[in-house]
Amino acid sequence: MRTTFGTMRAELVGAGGVVERNAYLTKRYIWWDLAWFAWTVANTLTIVFIAKGIEASGGQLDVNATMTTLLIGAVVWAYLGILFMFLMETVAWERWEGTIEYTFMAPLSRAMHLAGQGAFAIIYGLVRAAFLFVVCAFVFFDLSMPNADFFAAFVVLVVSSISFIGIGMMMSVLPLISPEKGTQLGFVAQGTLLVVSGVYYPVEVLPQWMQWIATVSPATYALDGIREAIIEGQGLTAMWDELWPLMIIGVVSIPLGLWIFSRGEQYAKKHGKLKRSG
Amino acid sequence: MSDAVVHVAELRKTFDVPEREAGLRAATKSLVRRTTKEVRAVDGITFDIAPGEIVGFLGPNGAGKTTTLKMLSGLLYVTSGEARVLGHVPSKREREFLRRIALVMGNRNQLQWDLPALDSFELNRSIYQIPRADFFEMRDELIELLEIGDLVRKPVRQLSLGERMKVEIVGSLLHRPQVLFLDEPTIGLDVTMQKRIREFIAVYRERHGATVMLTSHYMADVEALCERVIVIHHGRILFDGDLSALAGTVAAWKTIAVALEDGAGDLSAYGEVVHRDGDLVTLRVPKADTARVTARLLAEQEVLDLNVEDPPIEDVIELVFARELDE
Repeated sequence: MRTTFGTMRAELVGAGGVVERNAYLTKRYIWWDLAWFAWTVANTLTIVFIAKGIEASGGQLDVNATMTTLLIGAVVWAYLGILFMFLMETVAWERWEGTIEYTFMAPLSRAMHLAGQGAFAIIYGLVRAAFLFVVCAFVFFDLSMPNADFFAAFVVLVVSSISFIGIGMMMSVLPLISPEKGTQLGFVAQGTLLVVSGVYYPVEVLPQWMQWIATVSPATYALDGIREAIIEGQGLTAMWDELWPLMIIGVVSIPLGLWIFSRGEQYAKKHGKLKRSG
Repeated sequence: MSDAVVHVAELRKTFDVPEREAGLRAATKSLVRRTTKEVRAVDGITFDIAPGEIVGFLGPNGAGKTTTLKMLSGLLYVTSGEARVLGHVPSKREREFLRRIALVMGNRNQLQWDLPALDSFELNRSIYQIPRADFFEMRDELIELLEIGDLVRKPVRQLSLGERMKVEIVGSLLHRPQVLFLDEPTIGLDVTMQKRIREFIAVYRERHGATVMLTSHYMADVEALCERVIVIHHGRILFDGDLSALAGTVAAWKTIAVALEDGAGDLSAYGEVVHRDGDLVTLRVPKADTARVTARLLAEQEVLDLNVEDPPIEDVIELVFARELDE
């Protein structure tokens, strides 16, 4: 019992070390991060302005609600991008830095290594998503959200993050088995996930086969839940329809992600792909 | 050897490497029909290393040295055969195994490029579960030994190659590994820095009783540190034994460096003149004739100084490879 506790503690301390290292690296590039944040804001604005454009061209719509709907889609897109980027970098960045062999030789289980990477991605992603939302909603557009339950929206995003991390683990194996092209495939996965999940439109407008895929995408429930909380003002008690699928997908995707990563690691160790780029 | 720290038996590693002819046609053909060639990076090697031993693992580029070290560190799976380090199978990644070994690669880095080394040392403290007091004691000891107190606070990217290697070594040794796999730790360093790293390795081994396996292209490293060498080429072991015995086994000659009082006369009657530098002449003579030639030189010439030596280790290693080619 004591040994199990000691091992658990050691693993958690190790995962904490991974979080700490990412914090140091983020701090090191904080000004570049701000520049990148400006790009994300610009990208988000181009999407939210679409609602204004439709209105200007004579379209009949609730501009405030449509802009908020688009903003939530853009913020979730950016958030997912951050999570996937950090998890993909578990391999890709370390390969570029030349530290990959040492990281994979460290006495830390792969689960805790990825958990540390994922935990920092969630913390960093949530802070960034919150800033992005506030800057776009209130600084640029002065959107009205009188009934918004931001706490409920936050909880939905956190719960959905577990599923996103599981999927991110599956994606992060790609640079492990294909050092040259694996990272780019992660962006394909991010786009595919969001296109079927109603990122800027209702899922109902999609072809039937895409709607079926949407039912197993955590992004579908995340987007629905956050929109219901912010636009309709629904509280956590009304979110059960979104939360239970997210929990089930999370419970399945994390072990599946770890299994896929471990298979990728075995492949890399068998074929000698665990080495730096260049 | 039952108490061996490193035990390797009939170890093999093969890779399937894609290959094709040059040209667009061959490139298109390879899209649908890919051909691969089996490359035997390590081809049935066997050796044991005893506790506290320091062994030079020598061979030309592509001989299989790094592949072997990676298999012993658990970074590569073996194709067949047996590898055990401290009684563990490396590929299983057991925590007790990983906490007791270190692999230092001269052309790789474990420290984050953008951070001061001290931050990366902290990460190692967390991952290797080093108690805080032990960590500070070891860190400060290593920093003092390598005299890098003013370097560890700078981002690693701002350090020179030699400085970086020193902080890399400190990072690798913070958890006091019992087994060190050193892969070209002095590569690219100037002679002063090479000497400093060599001295440091010797001191670390003495203080902590570590077992060391060292690859290096610099024979000065090997001569200064290793009593035993394993020579590997094309994945196979060509020699395993004492460094001093290597010359005796492979080279059938010795060198006699002689300085004469009346300048450099013609000494070709005594042996093959291989080098001449002012009054100093270096002769190569058959090993069996060394005593007789030396006696003749002393008797017949006005000798100021005379040294009998085994051939340089570089020449001996070259001979080992040449002998393999002949066979």
